[in-house]
Amino acid sequence: MFAAGVSRRMAHAGGESGTFRPQLTSLVDVMTILLVFLIKSFSVEGTLVTPSPDLELPNSTSKKNPKPACSVEITRDAVVAEGNVLAKISDFSAVDSMLIPVLYDWMRLQNLKCKDSLRLREVLIQADRATEFNVIKRVMYTCSKAGFTDFSVLALGAE
Amino acid sequence: MTPSFIRTMRQPSEASAEVIDVDVTPVMNMFIILIPFLVSVAVFTHLAILEFSLPPNVGTGLDDSAGKPRLKLTVVVTPEYLAITRGEKMLDSLGRVDGRYDLPLLEEKLRARRNSVQNRDEVVVAVRDRIKFEDVVAVMDRCRDAGFEKMGLSSATEDPEGGM
Repeated sequence: MFAAGVSRRMAHAGGESGTFRPQLTSLVDVMTILLVFLIKSFSVEGTLVTPSPDLELPNSTSKKNPKPACSVEITRDAVVAEGNVLAKISDFSAVDSMLIPVLYDWMRLQNLKCKDSLRLREVLIQADRATEFNVIKRVMYTCSKAGFTDFSVLALGAE
Repeated sequence: MTPSFIRTMRQPSEASAEVIDVDVTPVMNMFIILIPFLVSVAVFTHLAILEFSLPPNVGTGLDDSAGKPRLKLTVVVTPEYLAITRGEKMLDSLGRVDGRYDLPLLEEKLRARRNSVQNRDEVVVAVRDRIKFEDVVAVMDRCRDAGFEKMGLSSATEDPEGGM
């Protein structure tokens, strides 16, 4: 009975020849909608900055696009730069000193590299939304001691 | 003599009886190539940056004519309230509403205060230690929306007697 139904549908769809020709109209409709959506989210510039998966960025209404800069990531438990864990937050947040020595050495090195390249002498801070300012200010202080005075923070922008 | 298109219009039954078989295979081929390409270059999360400097770099703070420091508006972010200050003088204090900062009111106050200061493009955001980063970004957003193009971010002292 099922086979008979299928063969009837096949005969109907394929005409007299009996070859199966699937109805593609609905599929084309779906593809068209998908195409419009993808064209809308098309970006020629691509993503210059990839946020670290270990942190949840804060939201912002800013529309300014990220620029290539020296990046410092502040996750929930560590300060990371280019995949290297430079300092644990628990190690430096309780001490009186504002300077984070390993980060300072790293940023000094980055400062020298920036002089030789086209990269901006600016620090891009990627911090988790729950990070306390106590940690941020220590990172900023250390970067300023290493010669960086301009900063930007990465956030999830509004569409 | 009747034109051909009118003849076609007058015979709907004949037209519907004839099944027009559109070959969509080339269109499907194009979609199959185009869609993976667009997926690879699509950006689904829009990232943005907020720029700021350490307070001395927001501006020299010196009035060229008289050599006197030009005071900037400062937004102090504490766990209990937001305050707008200018030098030692507190201009506005905005308490939390339902446990959240009243950011629309902050923007409104900043717009109003902006017209009464000389440094109309610069603001300093001074933040206490325990404040979460998302609150800092939200306050900086409101400062930018209020028209301040240059922002400085600094730490606010915990002891109000020692200055903001």
